[in-house]
Amino acid sequence: MKIKTYKHFIFTLILIMGFVGMFSLPRLSLPFLASYLFYLILEPFVPRLTLLGLKKNIAVMIIMTGVLTISIFPIIKISPIISSEIENIQYYIPKLENYVNVQFQQIQHFLQAKFGFELQDKYIFEAFSYLRTQVTSVLLKLPQFLASILEWMFLVPLLSYFLLADSERVKKTFLKLVPNSIFERFYYIFHQLNKQIGDYIFAKFIEASIVGIIITVGLVLLKVRFSIILGLAAAITNIIPYVGPLLGIIPAGLLGMTEYGWSPQFGAMMILYLVANVIDIGIVFPLLVSKIVDLHPVVVVVSVILGSQYLGVLGMIICIPIAAALKLILIEIYKEFYEIRS
Amino acid sequence: MSESYESEKGKNSANFESDRVNISLVKYFWQANPFTSSKTDTVPKFLRKIDVLKNFSENELRILANSMHFRKFSEKEVVFRQNDVGIGFYFIYSGRVDVIIEGQKSEDQEAAENLGTYLLSLNRFAYFGELALLQENSLRNATVIAREPTELLGIFKPDIEELIQTNPNVVAKLLQSISLIVSQRLTSMTREIRELKYRISELEKINQ
Repeated sequence: MKIKTYKHFIFTLILIMGFVGMFSLPRLSLPFLASYLFYLILEPFVPRLTLLGLKKNIAVMIIMTGVLTISIFPIIKISPIISSEIENIQYYIPKLENYVNVQFQQIQHFLQAKFGFELQDKYIFEAFSYLRTQVTSVLLKLPQFLASILEWMFLVPLLSYFLLADSERVKKTFLKLVPNSIFERFYYIFHQLNKQIGDYIFAKFIEASIVGIIITVGLVLLKVRFSIILGLAAAITNIIPYVGPLLGIIPAGLLGMTEYGWSPQFGAMMILYLVANVIDIGIVFPLLVSKIVDLHPVVVVVSVILGSQYLGVLGMIICIPIAAALKLILIEIYKEFYEIRS
Repeated sequence: MSESYESEKGKNSANFESDRVNISLVKYFWQANPFTSSKTDTVPKFLRKIDVLKNFSENELRILANSMHFRKFSEKEVVFRQNDVGIGFYFIYSGRVDVIIEGQKSEDQEAAENLGTYLLSLNRFAYFGELALLQENSLRNATVIAREPTELLGIFKPDIEELIQTNPNVVAKLLQSISLIVSQRLTSMTREIRELKYRISELEKINQ
């Protein structure tokens, strides 16, 4: 009996220490989290190779070398473009601000003349001051960010490699610590969580990269400025359910209007976004739908709002996996108290 | 040991391989290291002795053993309770467990303390809980309690799901074995029911 309580105590202690460590050591936990994401994205490819008769280590090695060789070229080619685009944006913002102000005043006059309603200035000023501080903070952090990128470029592939190769062993060792009385339930929830979150991230990664690639290539062909940043923004915001695609269009719409006004160029940009989203909704989404967690639309909307409330855009992106995890745990608790014992 | 080694060496040198290292002896000492008591070897050997797994090849047993979990239970520790949701199928690696069917739950405390009716006890090489791998939300039909310090080898639904991805042939054979167990049990139950029905009809005849 005593040993049993010790086991429970040690196990809870390990879980708590894990969580505390995750939040208190971001320099370690962030690369770990990133490599865990990579692991989730790459893991489905391992059994495909092992089924061909390859050993697991060799399969992992092939996948990692493949990913590294494929990604070296874009990283070397694209990262300077991105940093120069970010630098250019700060010189571009006054132009954008000017244009939006002019438009805003026109709307203000129009509303005043037609309906006698006076639109407040403060929203637009607040929005721009927010944007300016954001861009400045990004620019100020850029050197630090580049330094940490170097660290990450070494750490993340290493960690992902070992996660891919040794995840089984790590999982088994961890499960050995789980006390007997909760083992089966814990293992089941642990597995479901891993599977659902893994599937979700895999599906969203594919979806976001398809949308991002379509939009970037389209914008490059249309010779629009900041095409790579706009494509990246569209890919990242695409992860957010429902409102994501709209959020992705906003910067492109503003830029298009400022640069080209009501012109065929602007129309072409909007059509490009429309086509990308139609491809996403019509072709990509149905293929991946089984891998995207089944949450009720109301739950999705509520968790997106809550996520944005507490963590901004990041919260909107990570809210769905967290909601899915909570749902699983709540279902288990419900079963425990209402179904089995009755 | 060293003497015999020396004499062995002497014999060898007397023959023709004077300076050659005795590989098998080195290997023996290497493996006899008390710190490396690996289960990698012993678990497949244990599984080999289980009757329902006889259609597995050595390599398949090794793969199966890799995805199994070792669980240690102390005396009187509950492995699972009746009506718990189960996801695991267990083999007894060492020790002994009792299978108990709990009766209707009564309100008073004394009856609850009495752990129900004893059904049977299982020893090394026996297995239990196979239905959990087949059913969705399977509820355990009985309580299993370790009667002495017991080591169980368990395989669980998540392991099966992973094996389906990585080694479908191993899962196919495992499920074949489980369906063998289940069908044997079904046959014996059918026979028992037939017998019971026959006895009931006999009793009815007598009563009439």
